[in-house]
Amino acid sequence: MIKAAAVAFMASLMAVGSAVQAQDVRITTFRADSTFTLNGQTFTVTRDQNTRAVVQGDYALTSRPCPSNCIQPMIVANGVETLGELEVLDFLEERVTGGVGLLLDTRAPTDFATGSIPGSVNVPVTTLAADNRFRGDILRALGAIPQVDGSLDFSGAMTLALYSGGVWSDDAPAAIRHLLEAGYPANKLFYYRGGMQAWAHVGLTIHQPQNPG
Amino acid sequence: MIRTTIAFFAFAVVICGLIIFRPFAEDETVTMDRLGVPPLTDETVEVTRNATPDVVALAQAAAAAAAPLAVYPSTGLVDAPRRIDVARPSTDDTRLSDMTNNVLAELGFAGVEPVTTNSQAQRQSTSDILAGIEAATGQRSILEERDTLEAIVIAALRAGESDESIDIIVNNAAASGGVAVPEILVTSDGRVDTHVLLNNIVTQAQIASGGEAPAVPNVTPDNTQGVEVRVVQRANDEVEARFYTVQRGDSLGAIAIKFYGNSSEFNRIFDANKTLLSSPDRIRIGQRLVIPQLDAA
Repeated sequence: MIKAAAVAFMASLMAVGSAVQAQDVRITTFRADSTFTLNGQTFTVTRDQNTRAVVQGDYALTSRPCPSNCIQPMIVANGVETLGELEVLDFLEERVTGGVGLLLDTRAPTDFATGSIPGSVNVPVTTLAADNRFRGDILRALGAIPQVDGSLDFSGAMTLALYSGGVWSDDAPAAIRHLLEAGYPANKLFYYRGGMQAWAHVGLTIHQPQNPG
Repeated sequence: MIRTTIAFFAFAVVICGLIIFRPFAEDETVTMDRLGVPPLTDETVEVTRNATPDVVALAQAAAAAAAPLAVYPSTGLVDAPRRIDVARPSTDDTRLSDMTNNVLAELGFAGVEPVTTNSQAQRQSTSDILAGIEAATGQRSILEERDTLEAIVIAALRAGESDESIDIIVNNAAASGGVAVPEILVTSDGRVDTHVLLNNIVTQAQIASGGEAPAVPNVTPDNTQGVEVRVVQRANDEVEARFYTVQRGDSLGAIAIKFYGNSSEFNRIFDANKTLLSSPDRIRIGQRLVIPQLDAA
């Protein structure tokens, strides 16, 4: 009887073991993937299972000219928290799935079209600058409510996490500065400093648009 | 020990008193600013064509200009007048030539094809972004319709409005913040220069119909107010440099027409005066601009 139980126990251990074997590259020890939904569309983020994979293309570049591609500080503005990859996934699973947050890709549309973090929305940094006459429309779409005196009420606005090309890119920090200047509350803004390059560097899923261009 | 401390304290009090009350300070004068513009008191009252001047306000402004600067008796500090920055119409980086081109195309001018202005491009990219946000949030977000300067000018020209009423219509629209105008149309007193706008339509229409480009006028200090010609000594030759002092109501486009006959040459002046002008619409009365020779560039 005891022997049978022991055999069953061993068998179950081996089953777990083989399941672990099936996925060698996990996000963390206890997390193989991350699933979230954005307005009814489900996204799953995993890691590249090829343990020999290396970074290719633009994300392999190390020495972009500075200026303008200068290394960014860890904290870009007072009260704006900086995120790593796991916090970005938590943000996607909780706030984006809950409909109260958005992950914004602040790169130019042409860069966004080459691939982006799943579930992100392209809002190029230039469109958030004060000289864009249509910025108010974008802020309204993000949940800011115009007041009678012409100002915007951000109390119901989306929580935003912003990223750009990588630690060398000023786009996301500049977008954060533009949003703060427009009155967006700092506690509703997050900065994913690693950006596309760090995301690609650990083999996380990159979303390719269905219809490029 | 205690005596030394008290002595130091008394000394400190006397020094502080001297700093605050400045009994030996000479009368402070308000100097000209970096651009050589005297502190403007005449900008407090705006006289525009479509507004009757307020005589009482004018008299008050004249009195204020004549009155000495207020000095606070307690501190002896001079209350320096602050520069009053004129309200400027909102601008965008649409080129006047593009805008004019589209006005001509819309009016059915032969051989003129509409082009995409920067303003339209900005609008298009914004509506793409809104579509992306809408797909993510599921909430409908629409781009507010706004009047464009083009549409206003086309409507006014179709209705056969006079130059004066076009000036009033455009300036009222700009003053309400409803439309953005090309930067070179903004005048030194914060209005929209409709003369340049209309002049440019005529010029581009002439060129489009195979006419001559406007001639370069001969501007001398004798026939134009605000123009100076100076001989500037250089290493091995001397050149004549022209300067122009910005007058009330001037826009960069108007100055370009004054010297080159065509507002599209404004970049020559803007490039030569980058230290004074942060952008083509930041033109101020009293600024002294270098006017490059046409053939020099």
